Amino acid sequence: MKKFFIIFTVIILSSLSIAAYFQPDVRPGKGVTGFGWLSDYHEGLKGTNLDTPVYFMDSGEEGATFLLMGGTHSNEISTMMTATMFIERAVVKKGRVIVIPYSNKSGVSVNDTRNPNIDHFLPIETKSGPRFIVYGDRRTDPEDQIYPDPEVFKHYQSDFTLEDGAEARNLNRQYPGVADGNITQQLAYAIIQLIKEEGVNINLDMHESDPPGFTYKNSNGSTYSSGRLAYMLVCNPAETALEIGAIAAMEVEMYDLPIKLDQSNPAFRGLSHLEIGNYTDSLSFLCESPNPGMSQQEFPDVLYDEDFPLKHRIGWNLTVISSLIDGYNMMFGDSLEIDNLPDYFEIMDNGFEEYLN
Amino acid sequence: MKKVSVVFFALAIFFVGFVFAEEVFTLEQPAFITSAGQSPGALQMTVVCKMVKLDYTFEKLMTADDFDPQAYNCAIFVVGASGKGLGAAGIDIDEETARVVALAQKAKDNGLPIVLTHLEGAARRGASSDLLFNELSPFADALFIKEESDAADQMFSNIAEEKEIPIFFFEKTADLKNVISEVFGL
Ligand SMILES: [Zn+2]
Repeated sequence: MKKFFIIFTVIILSSLSIAAYFQPDVRPGKGVTGFGWLSDYHEGLKGTNLDTPVYFMDSGEEGATFLLMGGTHSNEISTMMTATMFIERAVVKKGRVIVIPYSNKSGVSVNDTRNPNIDHFLPIETKSGPRFIVYGDRRTDPEDQIYPDPEVFKHYQSDFTLEDGAEARNLNRQYPGVADGNITQQLAYAIIQLIKEEGVNINLDMHESDPPGFTYKNSNGSTYSSGRLAYMLVCNPAETALEIGAIAAMEVEMYDLPIKLDQSNPAFRGLSHLEIGNYTDSLSFLCESPNPGMSQQEFPDVLYDEDFPLKHRIGWNLTVISSLIDGYNMMFGDSLEIDNLPDYFEIMDNGFEEYLN
Repeated sequence: MKKVSVVFFALAIFFVGFVFAEEVFTLEQPAFITSAGQSPGALQMTVVCKMVKLDYTFEKLMTADDFDPQAYNCAIFVVGASGKGLGAAGIDIDEETARVVALAQKAKDNGLPIVLTHLEGAARRGASSDLLFNELSPFADALFIKEESDAADQMFSNIAEEKEIPIFFFEKTADLKNVISEVFGL
């Protein structure tokens, strides 16, 4: 009875469209050694719905610092769940890992606007009983943004523009951010500050995109194949980042997993992999797993799809993470070592639920 | 019976000859490696070369003018066009094509064996990549090709057959190290 009441309350809360404080469900494991807030690096986020938890996993052994970002886009659930699993399971044996599981926390506080058929709260069963995966929206909630969307989005540091003004609320268009800008620009700024202050050597911003295997029509009637971005690993054009990416891509391939190696387009401004890499000393990467929720299916199964189940996507993300770390170690000597995470095959055999607290 | 054995013998010679022809293709270090199209595949090539400890120099934007053919014993062009890579280098596909063709011409004129490789699979088989490969193929002495790159249309197999040059396939990018070890005798 109590369980039903909780679910019922959650549904009622989720159907209210006011911007609301939202605390995602993360249950830190024994590898977590510290906890902070993104506002520790930029006052402007304090008291807003975009301030978000930051988890520190320090081995105590000298090494490199790796920043893992999930939930830049809150509908891309494998990214939040990979980061969550990392916090709940992983033990860092060398170097230090910082995890921001819900990078744009405002986005998870609201439903997906792209496909409203996808439930905001998706129930799963774990060892500790029922939990919810939160499927949010790609962008900052307009209520949190305060400023109305401009007609055309313009990147602050350049003349780069995008026709859709709503991109002003897309975290991954705002880098390197603006200290006194709108709240999404400030969010990007805070992440840059964290990277600088913590001396982050390498970072990965995880994403999802539409899966391959579908043919869609353009508005002019021509057709195109879906999945252009799926399984992509985008590297900052800095030679070292590209080289680490080249090593990582080969390793991912050894798992018989697809991977497409790419580099940032210097003309497309505001993206994490380009701007973080250029504005800080951190080697910057972005990856894209395929999410059925971003296909044109009306009622996609975002958890247990036959071809692209969540466990496959989390497994792919984890493989990319471990391969990037191996690539970094190959280039700079042993600097990072992570223990206690499942590999791709284990997560496919046992399900992602098995590795959550 | 005699006829059969003669045919068999001829076949055997043909077969051995064929195998022999493939086996005799060797390269010597040091190798010069460049990109043709500025995709990240060229860096994967260098990672593989590091794995097998090949003596090589990688210059992704080397021009014919700056190229010293006396310093090397072979030239490897890693073909793969990337709009982003070209953009980052500040050049367009026509300039890149002109650069690599002039470079290949100079290498050929100086007697360097030339290898073309395509290692990024079907995802890197766009019109620009194919154009670069076809512009360079007249200079090629051998091809190193990822199986998946060739699978859909056998373009690389066909080029190798037409030009009667050896083609070395590998399944995964990391398997390229077996080809390099074999050809360079590492
Ligand atoms: Zn995304």
